[in-house]
Amino acid sequence: METTVLIVDDSKLARIVVGKVVAALQPDWQRLEAGNADEAVAVIAAKPVDVVIIDFNMPGRDGLDLAEELRGRFPAMPIAVATANIQDEIVDRARAANATFIAKPVTEEGARGFISGAALRLRAPRP
Amino acid sequence: MSDIPTPERHPDIPSRRRQELAALGGPWLEALTASAVAIVLTDALLPDDPILHVNPAFEALTGYPAAEALGRNCRFLQPEPAETEARARIREALATDAPVTADLLNRRRDGERFWNRISIATIRDGHGAPAFRLATQADVSSEYADDPAARELRASRRSLAEVQERLRVVQSVAGAAGAWEWDIASKRLVADARFASIYGLDAATAASGLPTAAFFAAVHEEDRMRLRIAVAGALHGAEVFARDYRVVVDGEIRWVAARGRTYLDAAERPLRFAGVLTDITDQRKVEERLHIAQTAGEVGSFEYVAGYGTAEVSEQFCRLLGLRPAQSLPVRTINALVHPEDPALIQNRDGRISSGTASHEFRITRADTGEERWLASRGEYRAGLAGGTIFTGVIYDITTTKRSEAALRLLTEKLEERVEERTQERDRLWNLSRDLLNVIGPDGRLRAVNPAWTRLLGHDEAELIGTSIEALTHPEDAATARSHLAHLLHGEAIAEFDIRMRTKGGDPRWVSWTVVPEGGAIYGIGRDVTQRKLLEDQLRQSQKMEAVGQLTGGIAHDFNNMLTGILGGIDMVRRRVSQGRLDDVDRFLEAAMQSGQRAAALTHRLLAFSRRQTLDSRPLDVAVLVRSIEDLLRRTLGEQIELVIDMGPDLWSAVADDNQLESAILNLAINSRDAMPDGGRLTIGGRNVHLSATDLAHSDRGEAGDYVEIRVADTGLGMPADVLAKAFDPFYTTKPQGQGTGLGLSMVYGFIQQSRGDVMIESREGSGTTIRLFLPRHHGAPDETPAKPRAAALPGTGETVLVIEDDPAVRLLVLQVLQELGYRAIETADERDAVPILQSARHLDLLISDVGLPGMSGRRLAEIARASRPGLPVLFMTGYAREAADQAQFLDAGMEIITKPFAVDELGQRVNRILRTKGMAGPSSE
Amino acid sequence: MSDHVVPLEEMERDALTELVNIGVSRAAASLRKMAGQQVLLSVPSLEVVTRGGAATLIRERESGDLVAVRQDFEGVFSGRALLIFPESNSMALVRAVAGSALSDAEAAEMEDEALTETGNVVLNSCLATMANMLQRPLTMSLPQVVRGNGVGLFELMQVSTEEGGVVLFLYINFAINDRDIRGYIAMLMDLPSLQALRLLITEFIRRVIGDEV
Ligand SMILES: Cc1cc2nc3c(=O)[nH]c(=O)nc-3n(C[C@H](O)[C@H](O)[C@H](O)COP(=O)(O)O)c2cc1C
Repeated sequence: METTVLIVDDSKLARIVVGKVVAALQPDWQRLEAGNADEAVAVIAAKPVDVVIIDFNMPGRDGLDLAEELRGRFPAMPIAVATANIQDEIVDRARAANATFIAKPVTEEGARGFISGAALRLRAPRP
Repeated sequence: MSDIPTPERHPDIPSRRRQELAALGGPWLEALTASAVAIVLTDALLPDDPILHVNPAFEALTGYPAAEALGRNCRFLQPEPAETEARARIREALATDAPVTADLLNRRRDGERFWNRISIATIRDGHGAPAFRLATQADVSSEYADDPAARELRASRRSLAEVQERLRVVQSVAGAAGAWEWDIASKRLVADARFASIYGLDAATAASGLPTAAFFAAVHEEDRMRLRIAVAGALHGAEVFARDYRVVVDGEIRWVAARGRTYLDAAERPLRFAGVLTDITDQRKVEERLHIAQTAGEVGSFEYVAGYGTAEVSEQFCRLLGLRPAQSLPVRTINALVHPEDPALIQNRDGRISSGTASHEFRITRADTGEERWLASRGEYRAGLAGGTIFTGVIYDITTTKRSEAALRLLTEKLEERVEERTQERDRLWNLSRDLLNVIGPDGRLRAVNPAWTRLLGHDEAELIGTSIEALTHPEDAATARSHLAHLLHGEAIAEFDIRMRTKGGDPRWVSWTVVPEGGAIYGIGRDVTQRKLLEDQLRQSQKMEAVGQLTGGIAHDFNNMLTGILGGIDMVRRRVSQGRLDDVDRFLEAAMQSGQRAAALTHRLLAFSRRQTLDSRPLDVAVLVRSIEDLLRRTLGEQIELVIDMGPDLWSAVADDNQLESAILNLAINSRDAMPDGGRLTIGGRNVHLSATDLAHSDRGEAGDYVEIRVADTGLGMPADVLAKAFDPFYTTKPQGQGTGLGLSMVYGFIQQSRGDVMIESREGSGTTIRLFLPRHHGAPDETPAKPRAAALPGTGETVLVIEDDPAVRLLVLQVLQELGYRAIETADERDAVPILQSARHLDLLISDVGLPGMSGRRLAEIARASRPGLPVLFMTGYAREAADQAQFLDAGMEIITKPFAVDELGQRVNRILRTKGMAGPSSE
Repeated sequence: MSDHVVPLEEMERDALTELVNIGVSRAAASLRKMAGQQVLLSVPSLEVVTRGGAATLIRERESGDLVAVRQDFEGVFSGRALLIFPESNSMALVRAVAGSALSDAEAAEMEDEALTETGNVVLNSCLATMANMLQRPLTMSLPQVVRGNGVGLFELMQVSTEEGGVVLFLYINFAINDRDIRGYIAMLMDLPSLQALRLLITEFIRRVIGDEV
């Protein structure tokens, strides 16, 4: 079955950069984009999404809020929060929501751990 | 530094070709060569475009030194012989002499591949026929790379290695900087010997690692906390570390400058904190003095590189303009303050002027108060090492002078009417002016002076009236004053000049005069500029220091190239030897030797320029010396050039180093030859002259008296004024642009200055060049010491030699030579090993010692040796030692000196000769 | 000079400079990753000036038009961080960071957007690192692009409404190797938070000095 990743970031450039990184690591994954939290919720309602990568600093609801909401709804979904705001508080909150923290700028190096972990988890037989 | 090929270095390139190139290429070629753009020039007249010239940027780009590229086709840079579209395109374009640009995959000397963007153009001669081809190269690999991170890594690795290498070389060459490395995880500090010596630490312990607290232990209490904060920053990831602080060792305070960097691991955690430490105590003193002088004298300084949008400025500069203190200001901001009718403060933005001095006066509107002030600027243009023109100058406020000048004009008018009609206002001005105001009669004597005369110079009015101006002038400036006065009395217009006036107490004061003749009398206004003169001296000094800095960078680059040659050659040999292949070992050794010799030649040139070479000055007969090299000269000059030797009768003997003098004359003759491509006449003359202090104004150490003049005159092309002005400049002459000025002029200059003489040069474009060397006269007869015998090294007979040398490589070499020649050598590194032996009863035949040792100097050790062994012969080895620059003063009887680098044979011969003469002289010392 | 006020001790200045140095080094590392180029930094300058003084400082350095990405921060200390560079460098910077991800036309179209994201990454890394060093959280606003000459930029930058307030002005020059791009990272802080900062700095000094040897 095809894997779908949703990239949530208000910056188009950031979405392109993250998209390229994902494409390099997992060429087969299908990529969807959303420009803010509400849009992301709408996309998820419309299509099945397996993996989510969320920017923290966005207009409207911030990325951690969204991550926490999604975690409530999808306990096993691989979620990452990507931000240059590397404050210990932010890292801790991401951890508390069981989301992976990726420092911006996002590079293959930085995203590899999360993406390959997600791929492994998705390939495992689902309950 | 790779130059446009000179015949000395590349005898295979005819000088005619070089001159054509210079004529066709002109100044833009100069500029390109000096720029950061890599360029190659090939000869289009010869088959397959052999390389005639490459610049330093090319050497840096490809890793190939010029010597390895010359004569080859550029194709050698291509790693594969495979045909490509780009190569075909280049071939086609070359066939029709059309310009072409193409990207080719090339290989650096170290094997690394890179994409080279080549743009080739054909240079045509006066008749339109192709003569040369010029290509620029640029590394465009980044356009071909796919992964930015990998690209970055490669680039930073290369530049890091480069920086470290440079650092190491500069350090060892200059012996000035100490290096440290702080391992963050293990909390250990490793430092080199120089660092240890600045900090008063033991060198061996520092090299093997100390607890990091050692970094702060010697630091002055007041600076320690701030240093700790800065270091804490670096340890937590701050990249830039730069701190000046004081270190206290044995109660002595030294200022040091520490510059460092933090290196991160892959996960961006700080790994190491490393940097270099320089002792800046002296520099600091100069800077402080300069700063005080500048603020006290209200002189602001600035430096502007043509083409840039900003100028570097001093605090006082900003203050004079009413701006907030800053280190750099946009030129637009500066010039906008200048009155629109007056000349701009910073001129030459397009870099059209490249040398000479400039001074102008202008009005500004102060940025803070809006007040209008008059400022004057004085400065100097010079060529920057990296290309471009640098304008350095000072500004100062002349508003009061300007007002006084206006007042003086007024005064002059009124005086013409009637003296009684002076108004009160004029009286006040006359009385209160800080500037000297006066009237001089047609007899050259003072008729009226204002009270400022008494205030500044101490003489009272009664003493002054009726005194001639000359009598009030400093004796050395009296001639200048007299000639200005004479011209003015003949009705010549206004004169402006600076001379020293004599105060009542006898001290000189510099006064800047503006003098106007009017109706038979002369009206003068003089301003005290003593302070400013001092500053100008200091400015010159600080420029010199900067030049040294620039020079160091250039040398590091050159040395890197040469070291690459040496190390690479040795490494290849080592590999071959380990493979048991000895067939072409010689070739690599030869290459390493050549690089080594080039390096030796460079240090020699530098020492000569800095007047620090070891000179063996002794009385000599110039005529005899010139005749002895006459044959060599004739051969060098060739048949087209007539050599005339014209030695005056009864020539005095002179004092100089004969080897250096020979090479100076030879160098000049070679320059002359190059300036006479179509033949001509070279005259070498000698005569006795007497030089006054004024004649020697530009000499470093010359004193008025008798000199022997050596004149080298040719009938060649001559030099234009701007070239002449820079003829002795090492930056200029090491990049000779074709005619006349050869590599050696700065060297000749340095040598003669060090010999307490002087050099003068006269040249006009089209009518030849005359260079006069003045050597101090020797009172007495020339030495009759015969030429040194040059015997082959004879084997020794088991004599005992004590060797003191701290450099293990040199020590190994010396010991090896001695052992092979059959001497018994005792090996020591410094006074700790050597003194016990010297003071023991051991039999010694000879002491060989380095001069500059880490602890006690070689000279001191020799004294200790002589205390118990009076006749012990001593041979010093030195690369450069300030004290050894004058051999006669440095050496006692039975002591000799050999300069590093030396050939193995040379050392053998010297040891042999010393021991043989000693054997003849008397019993050996116990 | 009346608009120069110095309420900071030398030692605190040093510590603050180092703090900024650490933050900016991290920011430079981010910029380096984005641009795939060497980024060179100057030693930071730090001045305590009036608002007018800060405007003058930039105005005297840059006479042309500038672009800035600004981001406000709030917490135990508050202020505004700016990434400033000459307008003429803007496209080159965008091209450097967008690199092969975008065509030239796309890059031109997205200029402001790309600048915002660049500023976001650079300023966030800097501020977050500083917050971590001080062990106090900071909230950051969304980044915003501002254009104008030096004067214009600073007139917009009234962080608080009080007139004549004193601000802490920090700036660092940076240059991107191989491309002709240079600029400043600047930070403006209010006086009330300046006092809060002093306390933090004192704490910071004690902490970092403690664990360095
Ligand atoms: C002035 C000049 C500079 C050149 N520089 C280079 C160079 O840097 N690297 C390179 O690979 N080829 C360079 N070339 C091109 C080669 O010398 C040669 O002309 C090219 O490879 C085509 O010839 P070929 O196919 O016969 O080898 C240069 C040529 C000229 C005339």
